[in-house]
Amino acid sequence: MAKRTDKALDLDRRWIFLVIAILVVVLYALGIAAEMPVNQYVQSYYDTIEELDEGSIVLLSADFDPASAAELLPMYQATIYQLLKRNMRVINVATWPAAPPYTREEFEKAAPLYKKKYGVDWVELGFKPGDDVAMGQIGQSVTSAYIQDDRDGKPLADFPIFKDVGNSFEGISLLITMSAGYPGILEWIAQAGGRYDVPILAGTTAVQTPDLFAYYPTQLKGFLGAATGATMYLQLVGADVPQLEEVTITNQKRMLIQTWAHLLIIGLIIYGNVLYFVGRRREANA
Amino acid sequence: MIRPMLALQEASPIPFFTMDGEMDLLGGWLICFLTLSVFSFLYKDNPFYKIAEHTFVGAGTAFFALQYYSEGILEPLYVHINHAMQLPAGELMQLGGYGVDPTYAIIFRSVAVLFSIFLLSRMVFPNGWAPRWPLAVMVGVYAALKLTGETQSKLVLQVASAMQPLTNPEKLAWSDNWVAVEETQVFYTFANTVMVVGLICALAHFIFTYKRTKILGGVSRVGIIVLMITFGSMFGFTVLGRYALLIERVDTLGGFNNQDYALFGTSALSPPILLTVLIALVLAVSLRGKNSTSTS
Repeated sequence: MAKRTDKALDLDRRWIFLVIAILVVVLYALGIAAEMPVNQYVQSYYDTIEELDEGSIVLLSADFDPASAAELLPMYQATIYQLLKRNMRVINVATWPAAPPYTREEFEKAAPLYKKKYGVDWVELGFKPGDDVAMGQIGQSVTSAYIQDDRDGKPLADFPIFKDVGNSFEGISLLITMSAGYPGILEWIAQAGGRYDVPILAGTTAVQTPDLFAYYPTQLKGFLGAATGATMYLQLVGADVPQLEEVTITNQKRMLIQTWAHLLIIGLIIYGNVLYFVGRRREANA
Repeated sequence: MIRPMLALQEASPIPFFTMDGEMDLLGGWLICFLTLSVFSFLYKDNPFYKIAEHTFVGAGTAFFALQYYSEGILEPLYVHINHAMQLPAGELMQLGGYGVDPTYAIIFRSVAVLFSIFLLSRMVFPNGWAPRWPLAVMVGVYAALKLTGETQSKLVLQVASAMQPLTNPEKLAWSDNWVAVEETQVFYTFANTVMVVGLICALAHFIFTYKRTKILGGVSRVGIIVLMITFGSMFGFTVLGRYALLIERVDTLGGFNNQDYALFGTSALSPPILLTVLIALVLAVSLRGKNSTSTS
């Protein structure tokens, strides 16, 4: 008995990796999609955009890179579709250097579907280095923070969308950030929400999500937490956007895998604790 | 080497290599190879992982260097000054949200360039006075930015948010709603009570200058439990995030598991399957060789 407990405690962690890999691959191969109930944070995110007047200007900040695209890209895609479908005008910025290739690709795909014109309905300003300072600059004046747009290299004065934008977030009705870490939502809350009183929405990675509950609903009107938040939001937006059907089903499939993978971790934690207490009791008795 | 490449190209409608941004066979095989190479580290450090690691560092450095050069030097310096010089006479330029004469804009930017040179002078004169000036400005600006914004968002508004009433007449009675429990009066009172008690206990845990008497010690103990629950929830979210990355990679590999990417158009020779077998075989052989060497 003692030997068996010691052997179990000395289990090579690679066996756990193997079990997780087999579980994920098998469940992926089965391809079962699971619909999720929508929580209040996601519903608030969706409703805040729905409640905006048509033609409102939204500052959309892409603060992520390929390492977090698995969680943030689906919610970023869905946000673009909801904004354009609701006829919002979008100013697209990024504080992470690897974000612009994603943002451009997604807008180039979605904008023609809703007959949106570049410079009138959306504009791509690209990456701005400087973290918090860059956010402060953008908040103070978008037209001063950027000299030209990122796609065509034209001065911002050439784009009609900037005629309605002033200093200190004047003319901008909402700030949305897809945040993977630093700089991200917490810095936007400090630099924009704390100074200019602009409503903020966020999509975040799982690691950052626990930090956000304290800011809801006073400083953060709604947020999409991790892959679960992305799936819930996709269900809301994707219901009448055929282009999002595939990504919605893919995310629903992923959530079923998540469920079973988490159950495995819970099982392993219980197993490890049982072995630990058995070992401790044995030592006490010896 | 040439024959498998030809076999790939002949059997697939997807081009072997393209520069137009569309997915090609080479890209597909590279994605699978690099993903599986990184995963191979879970077994043991090995040359496949090293290849993937060095490729990532090289490509990442090149990409970030270019981005920072373009957006951190080229645009704020060359484009900005060029734009200021080309403005028609009498037209103002935007600086910090205000319209200023282009000459002033150029002078302001030149001061920033001068400060950058001062900073770099540290490489030649490590103890010189020049780098201290821009550093002082940076520290001052950053402190001011952080203090003003963060005091408001992380202190003042957080304190205000913590002062919640324990009852809310707008909430539903327990018997009125059996589906959304969080919308009920009972749940609202319970949640806010837990929040207030948890907050007080967690703060009490950080009172270090008084002796832990029975009351303070007990409250502090509850505070530790609250903190442990918080760390537990953070761990749960971290697991969620890590699984999301793993599942996305499996999904990506699964996307290449078809005839279009396979050697000779045979699904069994698709990149994820073939490369998994290949990497596992090479690892097994190399480790067997190492084991036999260490035994002898």
